[in-house]
Order: sequence, then C-alpha cells, then structure tokens
Amino acid sequence: MSSAIFRLISRLGLLVGACLLGLALLGPVVLGGHVDAFYGRFTSPLAGSLIVGTSRAAQGIQPAVLAERLGSRFEGPWLNYSFTLTHSPYGPAYLRSIQRKVRPEAKNGLFIVAVDPWSLALTGFEGTYPEDNSFIGQLDQVSQNPNLSYLTRFQTKPLYRLLLDYATATERLHPDGWLEVKIGIDSAQVRTRIARKLQDYRRLAASQHFSQGRLQALQQTVAFLKQHGQVVMVRLPVGAGLLKLEQDYQPAFDSLMRDLATRHAVPYLDYSAQPYATTDGNHLQRTASAAFSARLAQDLQRLSFPNPSSKATRAAATPQ
Amino acid sequence: MLFNSLHFLVFFPVVVGLYYGLPPRWRGALLLLASYYFYMSWRAAYALLLLGTTLVDYYSGYRMGQLATKRERRPYLYLSLVSNLGTLFVFKYFNFFRDAALQLAGTLNLPHAAIPAFELLLPVGVSFYTFQSVGYIIDVYQGRLEAERNLGRFALFVAFFPQLVAGPIERGGHMLPQYRRTHAFDYARIVSGLRLMAWGLFKKVVVADRLAAFVNPIYNDPRQHPEGPLLVLATLAFTFQIYGDFSGYTDMARGAARVLGFDFNLNFRQPYLSASVPEFWRRWHISLSNWFRDYVYIPLGGSRVQPARAYGNLLAVFLISGLWHGANWTFLVWGGLHGLYLVASTWARPLRQQLAQATGLAAHPRLRRGLGVLVTFGLVAYAWIFFRANSLGDAVFISQHLLSGWDLSSQKTAGLLLEFSQHYRPELAVAAFGVLLMLGVEYIGRERSLQAWVAARPAGVRWVGYAGLCLLILYLGIFNSTSFIYFQF
Repeated sequence: MSSAIFRLISRLGLLVGACLLGLALLGPVVLGGHVDAFYGRFTSPLAGSLIVGTSRAAQGIQPAVLAERLGSRFEGPWLNYSFTLTHSPYGPAYLRSIQRKVRPEAKNGLFIVAVDPWSLALTGFEGTYPEDNSFIGQLDQVSQNPNLSYLTRFQTKPLYRLLLDYATATERLHPDGWLEVKIGIDSAQVRTRIARKLQDYRRLAASQHFSQGRLQALQQTVAFLKQHGQVVMVRLPVGAGLLKLEQDYQPAFDSLMRDLATRHAVPYLDYSAQPYATTDGNHLQRTASAAFSARLAQDLQRLSFPNPSSKATRAAATPQ
Repeated sequence: MLFNSLHFLVFFPVVVGLYYGLPPRWRGALLLLASYYFYMSWRAAYALLLLGTTLVDYYSGYRMGQLATKRERRPYLYLSLVSNLGTLFVFKYFNFFRDAALQLAGTLNLPHAAIPAFELLLPVGVSFYTFQSVGYIIDVYQGRLEAERNLGRFALFVAFFPQLVAGPIERGGHMLPQYRRTHAFDYARIVSGLRLMAWGLFKKVVVADRLAAFVNPIYNDPRQHPEGPLLVLATLAFTFQIYGDFSGYTDMARGAARVLGFDFNLNFRQPYLSASVPEFWRRWHISLSNWFRDYVYIPLGGSRVQPARAYGNLLAVFLISGLWHGANWTFLVWGGLHGLYLVASTWARPLRQQLAQATGLAAHPRLRRGLGVLVTFGLVAYAWIFFRANSLGDAVFISQHLLSGWDLSSQKTAGLLLEFSQHYRPELAVAAFGVLLMLGVEYIGRERSLQAWVAARPAGVRWVGYAGLCLLILYLGIFNSTSFIYFQF
C-alpha cells in the first residue's frame, strides 16, 4: 500500500509541476503588471506625485508627459492613480487607498486631483459607499509585485483572457498608470459611443444625488495631499453633449470647486469646454490625451506654487 | 462549500488523507463528521434539520425492522413520511401554496385570512436527501430492504458529502452494504475517481459557467432582448449549460465517492442523443427518474391500467417532478410539458410506425434515429425555457418571440448579431470549444467505457492528457465559485 501511495503522490506532484510550468506563461503578464486595467497601479512603487480621479483622468492625463516637463520641479515617481467611476469616486475608501500609495516622506510632489460632478455623486444612502467592497476599499497592500492579494481576490478574468488581452492590447496600462485605450475613432463609431454614453449618464443623473460625504472626502484628499506637495484641481475636457448634461445635473459644480480650491489655497483649472477629441464624449483619444497633458504641463509650469513648508499652507492642509 | 471552490480543494485532500490514514473502524465516523462539516459550511443551523430527519427515519426504519406485517409497520412509515415531506413542504412549498391560495381567493372574491409567509432560507439539497430517505423507508416498509441498525452508518447514508446536496439519489440497497465494507487504498480506483472529478470540473467551470455568461443577461431581462435569434441562442446555450452544470456536478460527486472507495449509480447517459422523450428520461437525471418510477408511477398503477389512467399517471408524475425541482409555476409547466410530451409520444407510437413505413424511413434506421434525436433535442430545449425563465410571464414572452426577427438580411438583426458576436467573440469561441469537446468525449463514451479506454493508454500519454485537461481548466475556467444549478432544489 505504501508504494501505491508513494506512486500516487509522486505522479500528482509531477502533475502539479506540469501545471505550474504551464502557468509560467503568465509570468511576463503578471510581473509586468498587465493583468487588467488596474493591477499595475498596485504593483508600482509608492509615488511621489499622483494623478487621482476616475477613468476620465486615467485615460486623459499621461504622467510621462508631465514628468518630462515638470520632473525637475517635483518628486517622482509619477503615477496616474485614477481608476473608474465605480471604483474611485471621492470617498473614504479612495482616500485611504491614496494615503497608502503616497510615499510617506514625499514633501514636494505634484498632485493632480481630477474633479467632475459624477465623482461626487452617490446612489443610495449617505455614508454607504459601494466602492468600499471593491479593491479600492479592500486592498491594504498597494505596492507589491506580484500583488497576491489583488490577484486572488479581485482578478476575475479567466487566465486565457490575461494572455489574449495582453496580446491584443486594446487596453494597455502603462507603468506610470496611464491607461491607453486603442479603439476605433472613425466618426461613426465615436458618434454611436457618444450617444450610448449620454444615455448611460442620463440614467446616472436620474438615479444619483450629490453627496456631502464625497465632497468632504474630496476636501480631506486635497488636505492630505497638500502635506506632501502641491495640489492642483483639474476638470478635464469632455464632449459638448456631456458637458451640457453635467451643467444641467450640477449647475453649481464649477463655483463649488472654485470655492473649495480657494479655501484650500490650491489652483483650480477648468478645461471642460476645451475642444479635445474624445472616443465617447467622456474619455480623451490617445493623441488628444497627449496634447492635453502637454497643455496641462505648460499651464502648471506657469503657476507659481506656494512653498509647501510655509505656515499658511500647513494651516490650509488641516482636514475640514 | 462548492466542489469548484478553494475551500473544497483543501477539504477533500485532507479528508482523503485522514480516511486512508485512519484504522478502518474510524473511517465511517470521519466521513460522517466531514459530511456534516461540509453541510454546515452553508448554514450551520440546517445541520440540525438534517440530524432531526435522520433520527426520525432511523427510528422509523429500526422499528419497522422489528415488525412482521405491513399493517404493523404502517404507523412508522407515516411518521417518516410526515417528517420528510413535512420538512420539504414547510421549507420549500409553504409560501408557494400560500401565495397560490391567496391569489385564488382574491380572484374568486372569497373571504380569506391573512396567512403569514415563512421567511425561511431553503436548506441546500433538502429535496435530494429527503427523497433518498423516503426511498429507504418505503423499501424497508415493503420488506425489500433490511433496516439499518447502526445509527452512524444510517446517518452517513443520508449525509455522505459527495451526494448530499445534489444527488445522485441513491438507494439503501446499493449504498448501505458499501458503508459496511472496508475500502483499501486502490491506486487505479483513486486515479479513476480523480479523473472523473477533473472532467466534471471542466464541464462546470469551462462549459457551464461560460455559457451562463450569455444566458443570464438575456434570461434575466428578456424584454430587453426580444429578438428571436438571440433568444434561440440563449436557450441553446442554456440547454448545454444545464447539462454541463448538473452532469459536471454528478461526475465530481461520483469521482469523489470513487476516491473514497464508493460507487454511485450513473446519473446521465448522453441524454441529448436520445431519439425520443421517454428515452431522454431514461438518460437524464436517471436516479430521480428511477425514484419517481419506483415510488410514484408504479404504485399509481404505472402502465398496467387503462390507457387514460396510464396517461394520467404519467402527467401526475411529471407534474410532481416539476414541483420537486422548485416551488414555482415555471417548474410546474416544465414538468407538465414533459408529461405531455410523454403522453403524446406513447399515444402516437403506432402512428409514428405507420408514418415511418409510409415514408420509407423504417428502412433507414440510422436516419430515423437521427431525426428522432433532432426532434427530441428541440422539444427538450424548448421545455428548458420554462425551467430557466425567472417567471411564467418571461417564459411566455420568450416563447412568443422565438420566431420573431429572423430576417437576417435586415440591418437591425444583422447589426445585433454582429454586435453580439463581437462583444462575446473569445468567450463564444471558448464556449463552442468546450461544448464540442464535452459532446465529443461523451459521444465516444456512448458505446464503451471511456474510463476503460483511457486506462488502456500508456501511462505517459495518460498523464500528459491529465496535465492538458488541468491546464485547460486553469486557463479556460471561471473560478468565481458559481453555485451549481441543482443545489437550489
């Protein structure tokens, strides 16, 4: 009997070995951070400068372009730590995740806080945030490669999709966190997507309300980031249709953001009406994203930021 | 704890290791403990229900074993039936009958009291283990089976974890002697069991769960998808999904039992290759069909009565079978539909013979069988609409729209199909591969034992094949621990 047990165990061991060998194909994908549109942001090192927001910022702002022009002024590494409207609207969970991702010793970073009405909206009761149950709310370890916690709890794609998506690369998450999306941009395709997106956002506008809790979290986010360097609030360009919808949905949004920026002594740059090409009325096309990032860098170069260690700035950084 | 979960991946090897490591006299106790742990991983409190009905059935069987005549045994039979069927009624059917009664009273404008609904969660597998216990009790009552005197062994017969939550519904005469035997470590048998488990897992995580990704969006909101081609696709996908899901579960259950030295009855024999609906029911969920045949249909008189009565018996059995699957009108209609199929099939048998003679099909048995397989498949697939739909209204809507929007030259339909195929392209390819592989393997296995065929290959070829199967499961599988469809019954 013992020889039969040994035979079984040794053969099962070989089988497990063969499977592990087969799974080694995934090595470059996993270690390169190309698991999905989010994973790489949890394997990269802690950041000195961040871009935070939703998918609009994830696709619209390229850290590499900013770093090229502003790298000498601000601390790196630079990372786009924006996700999606589902995962990273402003709230306690996103704030905790941002706090984990910023290098504790960073004092001269640049932090771009992308804002729009949707990232301050909520469905359901105040204080109950759906993203608490997502990786944003659940992941304690945000700089680990491979990030086993993410892989075992939040990676839901079948393994073949990891290889296929890597090979076809419609979406490619760059090491600096910029999400490059390669989709058709002929006018008919874009028109169809814009129509669909508008429909989606109309539904959102009907079901969501402005959240005081999210607004408070945004203020705490700005205050926290100010402890580590300069903060700039940015409203990204969108298509005319969506902008009109946003103005109807939250007519006072812009003045609210200006007030908030003034209170925290941070600049607020509103590009929402600027004519940049989008893929769907919401997300900038790749070339537009590069152009917008360059324009943003240029405008930031012109800004004179107060010294982060000054008393006034420290006072403004106190959470509200 | 699902068979396709990480929890089971740890649980099962530990149980197997302990089982063969322990002296034989402790193995039964280990399996009983493991089975209750397995069951309690869903909801611990329901283990009390399982224990309660087990004790009542054991006592009833034990007492009946001491009595000579059926008349003396009868009170104990009733005690057990009330305990089992009462549990089933309270947990599964009370709210259904309550709603139906209130609706009827409302429709007829009758005065009615406000009967409160039970807010109880349906215990997993309750329909399976109660039917297994009822079968045992009836066998003991009839004198076909000697009552089990060992409480632990009887409890294991009811609760044995591989078949506790979704069958196969075993018979006391088949299983109890196996629990009395010692099962030595048998390399070939264990490998064969593991092979069956891996194949079942493939059917579940590669075929069934992937097909569910097409089926669910359409069946959960059919009014958003009123196009015939999509509804037909979703229905066909569900036809294979439910087979992959349930037969996959059964393979895993039979494989797990085999690893531990036990043999369960076959529950599926290539059902979609049946050439008639009666044949389908001899090949689909065989343990349940046999149960209804032996404990309901034959006691009602079976086919040895006047034709009208025999048809009535068939209909009654299938309506009960529908209700067994779930307390919902959809299941009742599904069962009724199959009952009607069977009645029509039996009634029209001479007519079909004549038609075959007249058309010359009788001279081409293969062609005739092929046609039979196609027609049967169509009828079964149509009936699945009622099984899967969330409500009778949805099922009727889907039925009404199956034939609409088939003008493939119309821009709308073509655009819709193109969008669907583009959206699901890789998933469709994987699903098609999985279904073809599943059907191909089962087709090869229809005339000879696939297990024996595999076992006859050289060891190197076999193990390379096992590694390939494991990698297919790992790469193509969906591992978000989706429950098995039949766990709800």
